[in-house]
Amino acid sequence: MGRRASSSVNPAWFAIAAVVIVAAIAVGWALKGTVADPYRTLAQFPTADYLQNSNSLRGNVYKLDGVVGEQLHYSKSARLISVEVNGEPVSIIVPAELRDVNVQKGQRLLFKVEVGEKGVLKALGVKKV
Amino acid sequence: MAIHAPRRILAVSILSFCTAFSQVPDAPAPAGGGAAQPPAAPAGGGAPAAKAKPGQGSPFGQEVPVLDPGTEVMTFNGKNWNVTNNRVFQARFEKFLNAPEATNGEEAAYRQIIDRVLGLLAPGNATVQNIDAAFRLLPYAGRYDIDARLCNSLADAVYSVWQAQRNVARIANANDALEEAARKLEWNIGVVNAEKMNTSGAQQTGKNAGAAPKGTGKSAINPANQTDAQTASYTRRLTESLATIKANQVKKELSELQAKVEFQAMMVQFFLQRRFQHVLMATRFYRALFTDGDTKLNLGKDATDLFAKSTGMPPTVSVIDSMANEMIRDVREGVKAFDFLLEKNEMQGATMRMQEVFVTGEYMPEVRLVPREKKRKCLDFAQKSYQLISAIDVRDYGRAEQLVKDMKKVANDFDDSKPTQAIEGARVQARMLIAKARDAALNNDKAVLEKSLADAAEVWPNNPEFKEATEKLFNQSDVVQKALLEFDQLISQRNYRQIWNDKVRFIAAVAVNPDRKQTLEKVMKNIETIEASMMRAEEMSRTGNNAGAWESLERAWAEFPDDAKLNQERADMTTRASDFVKVIRSAEDLEKRDQVGSSLAHYLKAQKMYPASDFARDGVARLVKLVLPED
Repeated sequence: MGRRASSSVNPAWFAIAAVVIVAAIAVGWALKGTVADPYRTLAQFPTADYLQNSNSLRGNVYKLDGVVGEQLHYSKSARLISVEVNGEPVSIIVPAELRDVNVQKGQRLLFKVEVGEKGVLKALGVKKV
Repeated sequence: MAIHAPRRILAVSILSFCTAFSQVPDAPAPAGGGAAQPPAAPAGGGAPAAKAKPGQGSPFGQEVPVLDPGTEVMTFNGKNWNVTNNRVFQARFEKFLNAPEATNGEEAAYRQIIDRVLGLLAPGNATVQNIDAAFRLLPYAGRYDIDARLCNSLADAVYSVWQAQRNVARIANANDALEEAARKLEWNIGVVNAEKMNTSGAQQTGKNAGAAPKGTGKSAINPANQTDAQTASYTRRLTESLATIKANQVKKELSELQAKVEFQAMMVQFFLQRRFQHVLMATRFYRALFTDGDTKLNLGKDATDLFAKSTGMPPTVSVIDSMANEMIRDVREGVKAFDFLLEKNEMQGATMRMQEVFVTGEYMPEVRLVPREKKRKCLDFAQKSYQLISAIDVRDYGRAEQLVKDMKKVANDFDDSKPTQAIEGARVQARMLIAKARDAALNNDKAVLEKSLADAAEVWPNNPEFKEATEKLFNQSDVVQKALLEFDQLISQRNYRQIWNDKVRFIAAVAVNPDRKQTLEKVMKNIETIEASMMRAEEMSRTGNNAGAWESLERAWAEFPDDAKLNQERADMTTRASDFVKVIRSAEDLEKRDQVGSSLAHYLKAQKMYPASDFARDGVARLVKLVLPED
């Protein structure tokens, strides 16, 4: 005669389930920023390349995650602010259409920027991070 | 008789004229003005001009020498001489000072003879025998050199007088004979006339015709015609005799007068030659020879006037005799004074006394017996005196000053006030002119500089201060010229740093050149700006602000890129602030390439590195305007 199967669950399954749950949480956590990043489809702003030759990036659109620095200039049509990206300050024109977003020094913001004429960055969108 | 001061002036005038006769006239001695006269007309030429008005400084006119004792200046014929400052006098005086004393046998014998003659002719002792004895001694005295044969001349004069007197006696005898003959002739005429009258009566009576008067020795005379012939003959012979008597009388007087005049002239000549012992012998012979009591000297009008005005009486033998005695006494006292002053080491006084006794009594035994070692003591002083006068005359005041010092050492009584005053006066005047020249040189006033130097040279040609000043001026002038050339060169090379390093020299050189001065001021200002920048940079660097230091130097370099020191400092600071410099350089480079975005990013980075950066601020401002032009 054979032994009869136990009626309790195999503990291995618990382990596997725990692992799956943890992984799911991790993946979920990992994807959380991505799912929440509105500019996840945009390339990161190439700071080094930009500093070396901004004109070569004209027309490109990037996402730029940086900390707001000084407001370099203000006018009715736009603001020019400095943003530190990876320790390197760059200047970004924030047009009047994006006026509804408060831009303050020390804020970390996510910008959608376009490299315009003469390599000048122009913000197309701004999101708080 | 005592000689008054005017007589002494007269005597010394005449004596000094004798020693100065061969000299070229010169200006009066510096010691005093004297009776300075304008130059007279040439002698023998314009006679009216030569006859200057009497009283132009001389009471005796121009033809009579006059001495001013205060200045020792002799004035004659409108010209002036210093009696001791002339070559002949100096030479003779020095010869005398170097000559040995006259103590040899010949001199002693000569003096003995002269003394003997004077003794024989002394008043009260001049008998006929003594006169003859004195006369016989004269030729012996004339043999000696010192006498210069003057005693022979005296003897000749005496003999001439005797000859003249014998002649006079013979003339007198002849006149006596002539007068006797004249008396006889007159008597004869009287007799003849009487006979004539008798003859006339006898013709009437015929009795006494042809009878000769008794005692006459005459033969019987003829009747009337014969009587008239005889009368005429006697009358003619009487007239001749009387004329001869008159002529002889005149001849006698002339002969005597001529002898007297010649003798007097010789006496005066002896006096002028300062042979006073011969004067005494001559006057004593004169009194012995001419016993008529007439002692008036027959001189020319001018000389007579001179005597009269200076002595107050006409010239006589007594006057000249007393003057000679006075001179002898004066010489003796002068020698005594000389000895005394020499003992006291008062060389100036001793030399002056010796000069005086020499001028007056050169031939006097008292003077000739002065020992040579005594005379040599004042020779040095005398020579220095002449040199001092010459040095001041030619304005060699340096030599004059040295001579004054030397003379003060050897003479206690040397009065240096006049030469010292002359020297100091010249020194002060020269210094003032040199100072004026220096000022003119500083002000670049060449005309005044040249004139001042010329005047200073004229005042004291050998002045050591003048020589030193001119050398400095010339060197200075060379230095200035050299500095100006160098300055121009450095300006053309834009080597302002070198100008700054030598600024002291260049400041002095360009002081009188407005254009260069302006350029130098600009250069100095620029360098001061550079130096200020460098000091600022150094200060910043010391506090760790190399970026700021670099900026300070960079700004200065942009304005003055040629300054080597600044370049050096800038290069050094560039190394020290390399990160910042690299960012700024990148920003500038990108800006040039119109990489506005990149450039602005770099400027911002530089600003982050050095927030006070002017370069970054200016760069950001520039680019911001480009990015967002003003609405």
